[in-house]
Amino acid sequence: MSENVAAVNTAKTPAPAKKGGGAGLNVAIIVSAVVVAIGIVLWVMQLSGGMVQTAMRNLDSWGLYITMFMFAVGLSAGGLIISSVPKAFGIKGFGGISKVAVMTSIAATVAAIGFVVVDLGQPLRVWELFAYSNLGSPLMWDIIVLMVYLILSCVYLWAQVGNEKGKVTHAALRVISVVALVCAVLVHSVTAWIFGLQQSHEMWHTALLAPWFVSSALVCGTGLVICAAVALRAAGYLQWEQENLVKLAKLLGAFVMVDLYFFGCDLLTEAFPAAGGMEVVNMLVSGPLAPFFWIEIIGCAVCAVICFTPALRTTPLVVVASLLAILGIFCKRVQLLVGGFQIANIDLPAVMTPFTITNWEGNMAQAYQGMVYWPTPLELGVALGVTALGFLIFFLGLKFLPLKPANQEK
Amino acid sequence: MRYGFAIDTKRCIGCHTCAVACRNENNLPKETWWNRILTKGGDAMDLPSGEYPNVSVSYLPVACQHCENPACVKVCPVGATYKDPETGIVRQDYDKCIGCRMCMAACPYTGVRSFNWEEPSYYTGVAFGDADIPAHEKHVVEKCTMCWHRQAKGEEPACVSTCPVRARHWGDFDDPDSEVSKLVRERAFERLLVEEGTDPSVYYLV
Repeated sequence: MSENVAAVNTAKTPAPAKKGGGAGLNVAIIVSAVVVAIGIVLWVMQLSGGMVQTAMRNLDSWGLYITMFMFAVGLSAGGLIISSVPKAFGIKGFGGISKVAVMTSIAATVAAIGFVVVDLGQPLRVWELFAYSNLGSPLMWDIIVLMVYLILSCVYLWAQVGNEKGKVTHAALRVISVVALVCAVLVHSVTAWIFGLQQSHEMWHTALLAPWFVSSALVCGTGLVICAAVALRAAGYLQWEQENLVKLAKLLGAFVMVDLYFFGCDLLTEAFPAAGGMEVVNMLVSGPLAPFFWIEIIGCAVCAVICFTPALRTTPLVVVASLLAILGIFCKRVQLLVGGFQIANIDLPAVMTPFTITNWEGNMAQAYQGMVYWPTPLELGVALGVTALGFLIFFLGLKFLPLKPANQEK
Repeated sequence: MRYGFAIDTKRCIGCHTCAVACRNENNLPKETWWNRILTKGGDAMDLPSGEYPNVSVSYLPVACQHCENPACVKVCPVGATYKDPETGIVRQDYDKCIGCRMCMAACPYTGVRSFNWEEPSYYTGVAFGDADIPAHEKHVVEKCTMCWHRQAKGEEPACVSTCPVRARHWGDFDDPDSEVSKLVRERAFERLLVEEGTDPSVYYLV
């Protein structure tokens, strides 16, 4: 994200558009490739030395990887939806960023798949998913939908390029747009169901989770597209009219409001009976997860104010709003994942070993006092590597694929 | 058949013999316990609640509940955890498990499933336990097997045969003449987290 901010700061002196994207793009590709390589080394260390090197344990058996998986799936939403909705419904789009937007979707989807893979204890057994598929498992649904989504995003990008060259008809493009849109909604719903269909975690078990994942995905996905488009405009990669930025900003504001509304509905439903759900609300508002809760609420509120106040809709502030939205949704993911394990169904004192829980040295009550889980440096390194993989895919797309608007190609 | 346990909490003295017998029988790696004895009382193990002389403490031995409607079986993407149709025992296939830990998240009974977070190693330096148990594997999920290998030989689970106060009973709940069926007919019992709808096969006599 920091490179996007840097790009905005240099916006006043845009470099002339170069064919492949110029030296800056090459540097970006090399840097992200190096980070990916470091991530792979750390991942091999994790597999050979054991996942005991992560902070995940029996009572908090998922961590940063699954948090980032949820987050990356969400980020992939914006691009595809922003570029397919106008085409599917035959309305005016958001300028020449359609293909770049789909590229962000592809990059985020690849990262999402990467996060699932690094979380697996036995990645060499992934073939079993296709040989012994249990079609009743929400995780299986997600793997299928994620694959379809990735393939569809690529097909959709190819169809757009083909359409510009006159090889793919508008009708065909429109059909692909509709299918892509349906698939995008499904991919977020199914990701939500991995959590939402589990009766054992009160915080997760709500029918609201699937629509909420769709709205959260729209928030951070739109934020990502705004950041990418502004950065590419500043770098001289493409031209993009300010009116389209304003349009996207208004859309972002609307998505943020819907997301906050869902949060309000959920909190009220949890809190109102003043029974078990109160524990969830207290954990978020004033408990161990309060920092993440308040960053999300305040960040999203500030984002909405910027997006809805005409005088504030300047390029730098809209980028700030987008970054706040992305950060807010990341905090949402942390709350969901850690929150699910923070409240245990059975927390009676028992034997504690280094495998029991992250903070195992005290007693059970002490283990739950702060955040029940916090990642180790190794996990952070692997997660950074997978994130860099997403950036690498995006940069490679910029360099080698015809992502510029057709009328701006030289 | 529906095999399960009836555990007499009025008899249980919290001695952990069943937990240790389970470790020994199943060659459990370092730091792994399939069967844990929870303290119902104060904040730490074996600590009672209340102030002297009005104190109280009891124990709750908890392992896999071998549910009739198991949450774990539904979510496993490759069918590595499954319910044996003949005995009702929820089983785990180490060779098939991909280590995604979806079952651990889905199981409402916190902590009964355990993951081998590193290459299994043993305090004794060598493998021990029964010769018929499958080898433990790194990065897979495992849990109580209800001593499947002993049942195959017509023996009862190790935790049952070693309990010094005979608090643990094992048998077929579908057979009205079995010891466990009689016990749950005659005695008051509780089951853990029935509101989760999993229909557990471990009955705690109270």
